[in-house]
Amino acid sequence: MRKYVVAALAAAGVAALATAAFGSTSSQSRTSAAASPATASVTCGKTRTIGLAAPITGPAAAIGNQQVRWAKYYVKRWNAQKANKNKQIKVVPGDTQLGVDTAFAVKVAKSFASNSKLLGVVGPAGSQEVVASTSSYKGGGLGFVSGSATRTTLTDGHTDGNRRGFFFRTVPNDGAQAPVVANWMTQKLKWKRVYIIDDQETYSQGLADGVQKILAARGVKVTRDSISQTDSDFSSKIAKIPSNTQGIYIPWQLAPQAQGFGQQLQGAGKGHIKLFGSDGLFAPGVWKIAGSYDSAFPYNPKDPIVTSYIKAHKGNGEFFGLPSYVAAQVVVGAVTKACADGKATRAEVRKDIAKTKLKTTILGFPLSFAASGEMRAPATFGVFQIQKNGSFSRIG
Amino acid sequence: MNPALSQQLRNLAGLGLGLVAFMFYAVYFSPTQGWVFFFQLTVNGIILGSIYALIALGYSMVYGILKLLNFAHGDVYMIGSFIGFGVLTLLGGPLSPAIPVALLVLCMFVVAMLGSGFLGLAIERFAYRPLRDAPRIAPLISALGVAFFLENSALLLFGSQYRNYDGYDLISYNGIHIGGDSGVFIQYLGVIVIVGAVLLMLALLGLVRWTRLGKAMRAVSFDREGAAMMGIDPDRVIAATFFIGSALAGAAGVMFGLLFSQIYYLIGFLAGLKGFTAAVVGGIGSIPGAMLGGLLVGLIESWAKGYLNGNVSDLVVFGILIGVMLVRPSGLLGTPALQKV
Repeated sequence: MRKYVVAALAAAGVAALATAAFGSTSSQSRTSAAASPATASVTCGKTRTIGLAAPITGPAAAIGNQQVRWAKYYVKRWNAQKANKNKQIKVVPGDTQLGVDTAFAVKVAKSFASNSKLLGVVGPAGSQEVVASTSSYKGGGLGFVSGSATRTTLTDGHTDGNRRGFFFRTVPNDGAQAPVVANWMTQKLKWKRVYIIDDQETYSQGLADGVQKILAARGVKVTRDSISQTDSDFSSKIAKIPSNTQGIYIPWQLAPQAQGFGQQLQGAGKGHIKLFGSDGLFAPGVWKIAGSYDSAFPYNPKDPIVTSYIKAHKGNGEFFGLPSYVAAQVVVGAVTKACADGKATRAEVRKDIAKTKLKTTILGFPLSFAASGEMRAPATFGVFQIQKNGSFSRIG
Repeated sequence: MNPALSQQLRNLAGLGLGLVAFMFYAVYFSPTQGWVFFFQLTVNGIILGSIYALIALGYSMVYGILKLLNFAHGDVYMIGSFIGFGVLTLLGGPLSPAIPVALLVLCMFVVAMLGSGFLGLAIERFAYRPLRDAPRIAPLISALGVAFFLENSALLLFGSQYRNYDGYDLISYNGIHIGGDSGVFIQYLGVIVIVGAVLLMLALLGLVRWTRLGKAMRAVSFDREGAAMMGIDPDRVIAATFFIGSALAGAAGVMFGLLFSQIYYLIGFLAGLKGFTAAVVGGIGSIPGAMLGGLLVGLIESWAKGYLNGNVSDLVVFGILIGVMLVRPSGLLGTPALQKV
């Protein structure tokens, strides 16, 4: 009899627990459904929140902080305007530690997605980070605008996953830059022997592959090698480069590394070999090996925003971060538009990002997006040459 | 013959044979053949290895005396490189130095070594000494904590951007050609690094062998309690060891900056790991072992970068660490630990 009583009590206990559990689950889901950040309508108020995903620490911190400073510079200017007194923007930064592990970018994306106040995101920086964190951003319904993820396949809708309607970029992709570089090497410089060294990052490998393909098709002898972003000693790589090489293509992201490479190249008696960098190395005063070439998207050096930024940063333009300024401009513009009626959803912000039309940007061309998230008709890349005083002079 | 010495000689003979075999493969059979290329990579490796050897010495000395893996050592090296850069900047920079270049370089070394030395003292005093009698895992965790503390402090103090020594602009782009213009080339900067490292290592060997402090260090390393009973103050000896090891790391930091130009707050991580690898390969606790290990790691890294495409040098270096540990757990010049029974 006692056994039956115990069994009955146990059964009743289980039933009570199950009821409580189901009850709580359903009430929780109702609550979460009602308050899901992905679909929730946010009361905009006087302060609107956006996320800023960038490598603030880690090996790519130097370029990541350029993006952070340029994006925050836009927000600072926006917040300083009297007309925006009741439309202030608050930036929540997230450190993606590019070059360490994409798990950090995913963690940032998840925290942004679950932050119910957050309406849009600037970043992340690397193409590999975009790929890894897309599902978190999509799950959270967030639109994200990168100022440096240039892998061509990010926007084709299938190779690296589909992120249409969510992902946008304010930087031309690798497919636009590689032909400009290869054409300059073969048509203007008439190079026949080229050495290509990538830095093993997605950005660098994509560009190196693109240029190598075109050069090889044109009969140029191409030798390929790699370094990593943490390398400082290039002596053994330089020892391998034949003295009759005409040019070395270095599509890297760290200008001080290119400066160190150039100095070690000269120190090894091979200073006659010309260097050719990419937009990631567009850093006047930092990479200053005179005579070197660099491809970069044009910007207006006389633009008051650019000149005031340079002045505020002790002469350092930190031009790698320019597209992040425009990305912030896009996200803030979309958030403001979506908040016009006092409330906004992330879906509205995404739609407004897609509809963005900027007549002028500090990149030197107007901006609007195609359905893929690419900019419509961005300006072509320019070719610059480093002068003796360290400045970059446009030559093509 | 002493069995430990006999084992060390066998290790060295095996290493020599391995190096000769590799040299013949590299010169006659590798895709990039030739003596000049091989010797150029060897010179580059010796220069790099000199820096690793200086770092390895700090690891080895501290381990020898405390049986502690001081994982903050790589970051002391990083701070040393920043101190050297600070002196360079204060005294006019590489393009317009306010004092003669030789004096400027000397100042950079002296200040960086003193600064790093005192930092080492502070780390020992506040992070390790209170844990002297704690279980061995405690100071190890403390060491990791200090490493992160130093890295993040440097990030806060100096920012994340790279600083450029522009060592070639400061000293010279020229160098010495051996075997004509198409022969092996050694930059003057490389010569400074090798000579500086050799002088520092000889000074350390002299100190350990012929001074009272050196004798005390050896005594504390052998038996701390016994040394204390003989009137030696172990705390002072340990503090001196930290000071010297950290000062050598500071010198290595300046050499790195002069030679490879760019420094930033994370340079200590990988360099520390390589220095640690060098100390272990050479036989942790052995000063000549740390020097040999440093040179070996530098050479292997240089050869791997030169003879293998891509960037697999770290794979090779750490692969060899595993290999040495499997074959000779006490390293090339280390002696197996005695078991008290």
